[in-house]
Amino acid sequence: MAKRRAKSEARDVLDQLAAPEDRVTLSVDGHDLPVTSLEKPLWPGAGRRKGATKRDLLIYLTRVAPYLLPHLADRPIFVTRFPDGVTGKSFFQKHWEPAPAFARTVRIHSSQNDSDGDYLICENLATLLWLGQMAGLELHAWFSRVNPEPDASGRSRKFTGSEAALERSILNYPDFIVFDLDPYVYSGKEGRGEEPELHRRAFTRTRGLALRIREILEGLGLVTYIKTSGRTGLHLYLPIVRDLDFDAARSVAETIARHVQRERPKDVTVEWSVRRRTGKIFFDFNQNSRGKSLAVPYSPRRHAAGTVSMPITWDELERVYPTDFTLHSAPGRLEAQGDVWAGMLESRQDLGELLGVGSAR
Amino acid sequence: MARAIWSGSISFGMVSIPVKLYGATETKDISFNLLHSTCGTRVKQVRWCPTDDVEVPWSETVRGYEYAKGEYVTLTDEDFEQLPLASRHIIDLTAFVSETEIDPVYYERSYYLAPDERAEKPYALLLKAMERKGLTALATITIRKKEQLCAIRPKDGAIVLETLYYPDEVRASEVNLDGAKVTDRELDMAFTLIELLRKPFEPEEYHDTYREALAQLIEAKLEGRAVVKAPAARDAKVIDLADALRKSVEAARKGGKAKPAAKPPARRPARAARRTRKVS
Repeated sequence: MAKRRAKSEARDVLDQLAAPEDRVTLSVDGHDLPVTSLEKPLWPGAGRRKGATKRDLLIYLTRVAPYLLPHLADRPIFVTRFPDGVTGKSFFQKHWEPAPAFARTVRIHSSQNDSDGDYLICENLATLLWLGQMAGLELHAWFSRVNPEPDASGRSRKFTGSEAALERSILNYPDFIVFDLDPYVYSGKEGRGEEPELHRRAFTRTRGLALRIREILEGLGLVTYIKTSGRTGLHLYLPIVRDLDFDAARSVAETIARHVQRERPKDVTVEWSVRRRTGKIFFDFNQNSRGKSLAVPYSPRRHAAGTVSMPITWDELERVYPTDFTLHSAPGRLEAQGDVWAGMLESRQDLGELLGVGSAR
Repeated sequence: MARAIWSGSISFGMVSIPVKLYGATETKDISFNLLHSTCGTRVKQVRWCPTDDVEVPWSETVRGYEYAKGEYVTLTDEDFEQLPLASRHIIDLTAFVSETEIDPVYYERSYYLAPDERAEKPYALLLKAMERKGLTALATITIRKKEQLCAIRPKDGAIVLETLYYPDEVRASEVNLDGAKVTDRELDMAFTLIELLRKPFEPEEYHDTYREALAQLIEAKLEGRAVVKAPAARDAKVIDLADALRKSVEAARKGGKAKPAAKPPARRPARAARRTRKVS
């Protein structure tokens, strides 16, 4: 029922976006949402891959919403906004005060300024399109959720007042351990100080490392999920029962990182200094921290071709390349194949039990 | 072909030739590991701080320049990043000199430059032109963050890049011959002797006889005599990953318990406690 309604709502929004006007007030689930500058190019395109305008972005978000929104449920998010497109300036937005009526927010303590602030939780199409209207291209979500159900009922839902309260709360218990593989292998065409650009050789090496990590985790009886970052790297997610806090999750990731680093010292680095990372794949285990985030599945990225972060199956890994998945090509794949990450949280694994250290409680 | 150690392009006037750099030489010395003579285990080097009496991880090290005995100025990664490095991925040809003008003492290491796909034409052009004129180019290249002076010259149908020492890295000779007088007769005798030994340079005739003898000795030892084997149980390379993970989780939990905020004593539903596998 809810699904059918969502579908007709999406069709309705797509119809409204088909109007030729450069600005239009969308009616989304009974809310008025003015959207402007629809013809503004946000991605310039690269090679054979064509660019995309803000209208393309809003159409994309509407089409992938049924697959994307479940990955955002109950998670505080932040977005990187590119008001002048991906070639212009960008900024990171964490706090939203005030947010529109249709958007859910949650108040969370921030140790940085020792006060509470409102974070956005994006749970409906209206919120997603509102972010699109603000050129919030890259969507980042926390690895933990505000909802303790179903595997951590009993954990606190008090996120405000102090660092200690937040540390006791369910937001300190991630749903997955993430392995962020980021090749610092330069193509030679980058300017000084620029990040490495996407190229085949670097991606092939990153793929090799991902397969090795999967093999190691499989040896421990663990199932891992993989997606392209949408830029140069790969993200591996290991869904876990929430009784490891971020410190424990990070230390698991660090142990795996150092293990593969010892195995392949010429290929893998855990170094923070960009200079020492050069020529290697940076295994960023520190991502496993409260308040850190990666681009969510299906989030558009800042690559000129309008690539998106795409969950893939392990069998596909050999064949795919990050630019295969763009704002233009991804919706068709999803509509044909569905979300290959669907049901991921239902397959969470009990690491404490597996390692024989028991549950924390 | 071996793995390229650098890629970039030769910049030559208006032309840019994409190239890769490969080592042209290798030393074949036999290398040894140091073992503990009583048990045969490979000795581990430890970075040790004598003041704090602890092992120092890489993350706690910083480069210090000893400007006076026991006095250091420290340099961070950020400091190094500030240094000007203009020719990052570019070999910038600045001058051409006659190939005989560069004294061999300046040559440091030799590399082959190979053209990238589709760069064969301009590469061949530069090579041919230098061959015909008997010229060597002077250039700068940045390898491993260090800018180096280099010479680029044709050799057997390829372009070779020689890194050069800077003049202040070449020491002056301290030989003094003021007291040695040589007569014409002695010089004639020397000429005769030299003429007897004169022949073309054929490097294939020369072998590293020391290395060959050493290899034979090692082989003889392997054939049943005095082979030292590291005790398997202490092989540090074999890491039990599950064990390492267990320790890391336990340590993280201990850290958690040390904090004032204790965890709530709530129970998780039994069903979710089971380790589940994805079925799809």
